[in-house]
Amino acid sequence: MENVATDENWKTCFSQLAPGLLLFARQWARSTADAEDIVQEAFVKIWRRNHNIANRGLLYATVRSIALDVLRRDSRRARRESAAVSESDQMVQPMFEVEDESQRALVAALDLLPDEQREVLVMKIWNDLTFAEIASALEISQNTAASRYRYALAALKKNFPFA
Amino acid sequence: MNDFSEIESKLRTLRPVQPSADLMTRIERALVEARHGESLHPGKRSTRLRSATARQASTAGVLPREPRFHFNWLSLGLGLAAAAALVLFAFVRLERPAKKTPSLAAITPAPTFSSANANAQFVPAGLTQVVYRTRDEGLHFPNNSGQPMRRVRSHSRETLRWRNPTTGASLRISYPSEEVSDVPVTGQ
Repeated sequence: MENVATDENWKTCFSQLAPGLLLFARQWARSTADAEDIVQEAFVKIWRRNHNIANRGLLYATVRSIALDVLRRDSRRARRESAAVSESDQMVQPMFEVEDESQRALVAALDLLPDEQREVLVMKIWNDLTFAEIASALEISQNTAASRYRYALAALKKNFPFA
Repeated sequence: MNDFSEIESKLRTLRPVQPSADLMTRIERALVEARHGESLHPGKRSTRLRSATARQASTAGVLPREPRFHFNWLSLGLGLAAAAALVLFAFVRLERPAKKTPSLAAITPAPTFSSANANAQFVPAGLTQVVYRTRDEGLHFPNNSGQPMRRVRSHSRETLRWRNPTTGASLRISYPSEEVSDVPVTGQ
């Protein structure tokens, strides 16, 4: 990975990380296509700066940074276009492949979580990051990351009717 | 943490939406374009990459990292300044009028180089003597002689020139001179 990245290297890495990364980016994106753009930009950015793609803390921090930039840009644009397009007109795309009512309720409970708890949960459950990596990506302490994770699970347990 | 094991296991059963089939190809294309140093505008990138993907097949093989290129504005500025100075100097040289050689003077012929002094730094290239005033001061009898002499005083400016044949450099020295000559008067 010094100066040459083979297809196999990054494709293998990408295929493993892409679903979780997409879900992570989807928290701030209004559509799956926007989330894919964010992931794409993050991959290119990491690659251009010669960073190791295996540095997951940096990778998720990059995705988060780009997503927040896009969110700010889109917020400004949305304010400008608010007269023309209302939020209700926008298509809401699912973040999970829901199979039954139980999972649908779980997704609904996830949507109720505060952003800071949900992003820790997404990184931990669907991206298998350690608390150290989560702390690195979010620039918080490991204890804070662990606390947010526990609060998220507690809230889900409380709000999830099938538990 | 054991209290949450059940909800954790339920969460893990949720499968995130899979990325679209062309995302990997789009990223691959973006990496190739980034390698070629194309500046991508974030707002326009995705649409353009998607359309490019539709037209072109994915690249295979090795994706070399782009060489890091740091543009040095100081070097560019110095280079432009030097080029401008060179152009200005050449312009001034072209605009300089050709020198007129005085027709009044006696001009020595151009020197011929000999192989002996080819390596000398400067070799004489010419002598110009311009006589700009001559005055007849009348008859004189120098040294109490009985022979009358006509004294002629002339003022002139002499210019000596040297040239370095290897470098083309030239050196010129100019100075005024006064010459008094006594011409015998005969036939009287």
